[in-house]
Amino acid sequence: MRWRNGPDRFGLITRMLHWAMGLGIIGMLGFGTVLSRMQPSLGNIWLYGLHKSVGLCLLALVLARLAWHRISPPPASLTEGIAPWQVAAGRWAHRLLYALMLAVPLAGWIGSAATGIDVQVFGLTLPNPFPVSEAWDKGGFLAHAVLTKLLMAVVALHVAGALHRALWHRDGTLRRMLRA
Amino acid sequence: MRRLAFRPLLGLWLIVAAALPATAATRSYALEAAGSSVAFSVAFGADTITGTMPVLRSDLKIDFANVAASRVAVDLDVTGAQASFPFASQAMKGPRVLDAAEFPQISFTSTAITRDGDTARIEGNLTVRGVTRPTVLTARLYRPAGSSPQDLDQLTVILDGALARSDFGATGWSDMVGDTVHLTITAQIRATT
Ligand code: HEM
Repeated sequence: MRWRNGPDRFGLITRMLHWAMGLGIIGMLGFGTVLSRMQPSLGNIWLYGLHKSVGLCLLALVLARLAWHRISPPPASLTEGIAPWQVAAGRWAHRLLYALMLAVPLAGWIGSAATGIDVQVFGLTLPNPFPVSEAWDKGGFLAHAVLTKLLMAVVALHVAGALHRALWHRDGTLRRMLRA
Repeated sequence: MRRLAFRPLLGLWLIVAAALPATAATRSYALEAAGSSVAFSVAFGADTITGTMPVLRSDLKIDFANVAASRVAVDLDVTGAQASFPFASQAMKGPRVLDAAEFPQISFTSTAITRDGDTARIEGNLTVRGVTRPTVLTARLYRPAGSSPQDLDQLTVILDGALARSDFGATGWSDMVGDTVHLTITAQIRATT
């Protein structure tokens, strides 16, 4: 079992982080959309707490992922036979994904904290480093709503790109993220 | 909670006044914090949020001979407000609703008091979130069971009213939480003069 990344393969830690976060993010994009259309009541208000808890865990995971890739750098993309614009598109999609994996939960946290309500991760109250103010509340949630739409688009592009490589080019791009 | 057994007093208002020397007709009262509360309720979907807010200061003068000469001024401590479920207190005190950090007090000052059968109609100015609006409260005055009609040392005032929080800019979560907030203020008061 190889935990670390190699020059041309993904180690177990990176692959686990990738799929756990992929599942989590796609799930949260759906969950958040349901949440924003839900009629809240005493019976379902706990769903907000669950959304915040899972979202903050995803924020912790992206930080762990960035740290891990400093310790154990991931392999370079497979580019043989790929049009340069597609290589560039893939690189920018990945950069944007990382930026949004940070910005989306951060915006949700900022908006939530600005209402003056304690932000908790599965019952544990976090210290609040953000201002409690109506402007930050509005700004945070506006950013959360807009950036999640962008994230949906980039995730769709990312999945399409991976499938295109797997089904059309049949290079190892998808396979090496699935198994060693 | 203490069981209260009080007799309506307002009906006796004039009779009481007649039995008292004219100079003693206006009396000042101090609020007894222990038996007093400001309770509110507001719709939350199909449910109701209830809560309380502590009284910070009160200035109560009751003129038993001439109800119109009575006056009421009360300040409430927004920062000490409590609501019936965990996050409702924080939500209510946060910037979207009462903004306790910016506006730590709610105050009410009577402008006109009139008798209305067994109750009194108290018109006044209510200040919430720094916005002042005319508001009407209905008051009923009780004395403890067993006390003599002349004994006005200890009384209970129950005030009922409602306000539209949108009038004061306290509009947070208006898609979830109702606009009309019902108030029931129970004030146990003791004469100081
Ligand atoms: C990767 C993490 C996250 C994803 C993918 C995500 C996704 C979403 C989406 C798609 C929405 C619906 C937005 C709209 O259409 O208005 C939403 C709403 C919401 N999110 Fe997140 N979220 C994440 C993290 C967080 C975090 C960390 C918090 C708070 C600590 C949070 C708090 C909220 C709240 C309170 C709403 C409801 C806003 C409303 O009702 O208008 N989210 N989220």
